[in-house]
Amino acid sequence: MTIPGVAIVTGGAAGLGEAIAHRLADEGAAVVVADVDAAGARRVAEALTRSGATAAAVPCDVTRGADVEQATQVAAGLGPIRVLVCSAAVESRQSVIECTDEEWQRVLDVDLKGPFLCMRAAIPHMVANGGGSVVAMGSTLGLIVAPGHPAYCAAKGGLVNLCKQAAIEHAGDNVRINVVAPSATDTGLFIRFSAEAPDPEALRRRIADLNPMHRLGTAREVCDAVVFLASDAASYTSGCVIPIDGALAARRM
Amino acid sequence: MTGAPVLDFQRLLPDKVALITGSGSGQGRAAAQLFADHGARVVVVDINDEGAAETVQLLEEHGGEGMALHADVSSRPDVDRMVAAAVERYGRLDVLYNNAAVQMSGRLVDCTEEDWDLTIATNLSAIFWACRAALPHLLEDGGGSIINTASTLGLIGSEGYAAYGAAKAGLVLLTKQLAVEYGPAVRANVIAPGSIDTPRFRKVLEKTPGAEQFVDGLRRTIPVGRLGRAEDVAAIALFLASDQSAYVSGAVVPADGGLAALR
Repeated sequence: MTIPGVAIVTGGAAGLGEAIAHRLADEGAAVVVADVDAAGARRVAEALTRSGATAAAVPCDVTRGADVEQATQVAAGLGPIRVLVCSAAVESRQSVIECTDEEWQRVLDVDLKGPFLCMRAAIPHMVANGGGSVVAMGSTLGLIVAPGHPAYCAAKGGLVNLCKQAAIEHAGDNVRINVVAPSATDTGLFIRFSAEAPDPEALRRRIADLNPMHRLGTAREVCDAVVFLASDAASYTSGCVIPIDGALAARRM
Repeated sequence: MTGAPVLDFQRLLPDKVALITGSGSGQGRAAAQLFADHGARVVVVDINDEGAAETVQLLEEHGGEGMALHADVSSRPDVDRMVAAAVERYGRLDVLYNNAAVQMSGRLVDCTEEDWDLTIATNLSAIFWACRAALPHLLEDGGGSIINTASTLGLIGSEGYAAYGAAKAGLVLLTKQLAVEYGPAVRANVIAPGSIDTPRFRKVLEKTPGAEQFVDGLRRTIPVGRLGRAEDVAAIALFLASDQSAYVSGAVVPADGGLAALR
């Protein structure tokens, strides 16, 4: 039982978010699976419940304040909110000149405004409950850039600083805010993306070879870092970014 | 032979066309004056028409050339019109200096959705829009320089600047994207000003209780021991706009008297 209390996981219906929801439940948390994919959220919550955990599903578009408020209320109904994992995200692969207004706005709304709205809703509960931990899913591309991801990089880069701001603002409240910055992992967004390539296996090998460890990250490795940051093991760690990238960013920063 | 360009340091921007947003006062105006002194024709963009006209007048009094242009950079159509009007007037564009910004403070839990949206639009999306509109011209005219104004608060965390810090940090990464995507023709760099003593800074100060003590405290945290001047920032902008910085792209140059280094 490293994580008592209630954890909200946005984007919890699939990929990394789903893995994180399961892992937090394994660590003793009651988990609210919030996702724009309502059926997916329900499926994950039911699986958690079957495994003996306390869980609830909430349809939640993180760009909508009312949805975020709803998810927060559901969580508060289960017990004291201790953990918020902002995992909902979209990727975009359009160069600056090609990127449409709609695409730019969608990425900034989901990947940057979403965590803002979720933190704004959840942090007051954590303060009232005597403490808590927010873990935001950043990205290698919030630390370094690669061509062709202007909106995604802008959003993830902004997210890092947003979390540092929040960490300083709530340092006295025992509420910690940190970022994990995974590179490509063998799950979720990256698998969906690579599956569209003419030779998915070759693409995965090529991406893996970019980092010094020459392999993709795994969902478990991301979950390990999330659990560390969410738990009291990280009680003196706030406003920090943990890259989970096989030393990829180290080579480039 | 190094292949480096031969420069006339008295005239670093000969016949260049530079568009500077937010140049109706403060840092933007100082840059407009300096750029004009170095031979650039300056498109002076501001939401405040009077300020923009005054800047152009100041340039002209020094024998410079410029045009005043109204735009609210938080509006995408305004930004597109701004770039089009500049190119229509001068036939080219060489330097895009995105300097306009809003500075709204507020702790994360107190930040309204309206303030968030306006801050992100003005301080981040506006620069994306301007670059998207300007890049085809910069590329067509043999390359160019993009200068984006971030902030110390885009490099480090602080208290009470949730939306502002997020927008400025996003801008740093957006600029690096630009540098990677559009090099070698286009260079893109960031200036990260700290506390700069401008009319806007003074206006904020007027509303700050114990302003004098606040400035004193601020000064003590700055290694150089004084607030910045608009001219300090303009000097960096001139460097980044001109061929003096021909091998500099994707860089973040703090204009902060050493503040970020300290932190």
